[in-house]
Order: sequence, then structure tokens, then C-alpha cells
Amino acid sequence: MIDPWTLIIIIGMATVTVTTRIGGYALLRGRTLSPRLLATMEAAPGCVLIAVIAPHFATGRPADMLALVITVVAALRLPMLPTVMIGMASAAILRQVL
Amino acid sequence: MTFITEQASSAQNSEIQRGIRAVTPILFGLVPVALAFGALASQKGLTASEVSLMTGLNFAGGSEFAAIGLWQAVPPLLLIVAITFLVNSRHLLMGAALTPHLAGLPRWKAYAVLVLMCDESWALGLADARKHRFFSLPFYFGQAVTMYLGWMALSTLGALAGPLLGDIEQYGADLAFPAVFLVLLRGMWPGVVKASPWLASLAVAIAAYLALPGAWYVPLGALTGLGLSWLMAGRT
Repeated sequence: MIDPWTLIIIIGMATVTVTTRIGGYALLRGRTLSPRLLATMEAAPGCVLIAVIAPHFATGRPADMLALVITVVAALRLPMLPTVMIGMASAAILRQVL
Repeated sequence: MTFITEQASSAQNSEIQRGIRAVTPILFGLVPVALAFGALASQKGLTASEVSLMTGLNFAGGSEFAAIGLWQAVPPLLLIVAITFLVNSRHLLMGAALTPHLAGLPRWKAYAVLVLMCDESWALGLADARKHRFFSLPFYFGQAVTMYLGWMALSTLGALAGPLLGDIEQYGADLAFPAVFLVLLRGMWPGVVKASPWLASLAVAIAAYLALPGAWYVPLGALTGLGLSWLMAGRT
């Protein structure tokens, strides 16, 4: 059920992923971080998360862009689950209509 | 002694439960994302056990979507591993941001925190540490282990159900992923001025996504935002 080549690829992926997970800590551990660096790091979560979803802002399909706008508005006001439902439903409906 | 140990372990249990409660709505939001991933993987010819193995060993959804996107009859090893690194290079920044909270921990515990670090567990852990001025390990492990098991189980389920679902884009399932991230972002909104690095990150990431092949948009966007944050931190 597990193809040997697939297994090799998965192990390769897992190896580089673990390296990225422990790398930042391994490099910085034991050093005193300057207040400026700590203040910079405050912005890291937002910068990372928003960069990961950037492709969704650039699909160029009107239905997708409109669904994304609706999802952003929902995310500003609603908890996780309703936001996800509204995001999916608006994409599903708009793709039918537009 | 026993009394103190029992008290400590019940406090620990309630922290673990608090972690599980905090991550549950996120996990619900991820249900369609994980099902979509499993279904896509099965369309590309991966078996359910291969999907379990990938999500269990790699446990980084963005890179798994990218890998499946590049999957072929004989998948290209080096390309997939390189893209995985590129998509996950953000973990380097994320681990660096966690480092001040891991000071004083035995090294193996710090590594256990990091190995279970995904976008969601990291964002929840940091937000909780900021709120309580304390990084609670049982809270972190409660939510991170739940994320890990949930992602693996749901994507495997998606691989099993994939053939029955057909084309998953028709359900808008791909919008679930940005929806989860947008709610996480709303939860850490620092005000317009402090969020300007986010917008810089988004703008550069969009431009890089349109202009460059592969996943360069993630590190380029994030580093631009951090650069701006560095400049702003120097001014005050």
C-alpha cells in the first residue's frame, strides 16, 4: 500500500520540515535578543500567515475574489466555524452564478 | 507531597483541556480543508496509508498541498523536497519568535514544542502567552497534539472518501483554508499602524506569486513585512 518512491519523498519532505521547525530556535537559543528584534518578531505571525494565503488574493477569477471579500468581512465579525461555512458557501454559489 | 502532585496534575489537566477547547473551532474549520487535501491526494493516486504517512511525518498542510500539486506518475523528489522547504521556511521565523518563551525549558521539551509547531498551534500558543504573560506547556500540547491528530485523521478520511466526492472545488472547499487564516489574523490584529507590515507582506507575496514560479512568495512576503517591522521598531 506504500510505494517505496513515495516513502522516500515523504521522508525527504519530513526531514526538511523538521529542520525548518527546529532551525530558528537552534540558531537563536541562548542568545540575548535585542528589544528591537523582539519588537520585530511581534509582527512575524501576521506577516507569515498573510503571505501563505496570498495566492487566494490573486486568482483573477471574479467569483473567487468576491467570495474572498465576503470571507474577509465574515472573518472580521464571526467566529471560526461560521466564517469557514460562509467562505465555502459563497465560493460554491458564486462559481455557479458568475 | 501526594496532595501537591495531585493538585499539580489536575491543574495540568485543566490546562490541557483549555488547549483542546481553544483549538476545537479551528479544527472544525479545517475539516473541509483536510478532506479536500485527502481527496486531491487520492485523485493523484496516493493511497490512504500514504496520506496518513505524509501528514503524520511532515504535518505541514501548506507544503502537502504544494507537493500534491506537483505529484506525477513518478513524482520529482528534489523539486517536491525543495518546494516543501520553501513553503515551510516560515517555520524558521516562527521558531525564532517562540524562542524567548522556551528559555529555561529542558532542551527536549523545547524540541517537542517545535516539532508540533504548525501555523495554528503556534498562533494559539503565542496569543495565549501574550494574554497570560506565561507560555503554558500543557495548554500548548493540548491544542497542538489535537491539531496533529485531527489533521492526520481528517486528511486520511478525505483520501478514503475522495473518490465519492468528485470535484471538490464545486463545494468551495478551497476557501476554507484562507478563512481559517483570516480568523487567526483577526485574533491577533495589533491596530492599523502595527499591522502595516502585514499589508507589506501581503502585497509583496501577491506580486511574487504572480511573477515567480514555486513558493517564493511565502518567504519573500514574510521577510518584507519583517523588514518593515524592523524599521518601525527602530523609529520608536
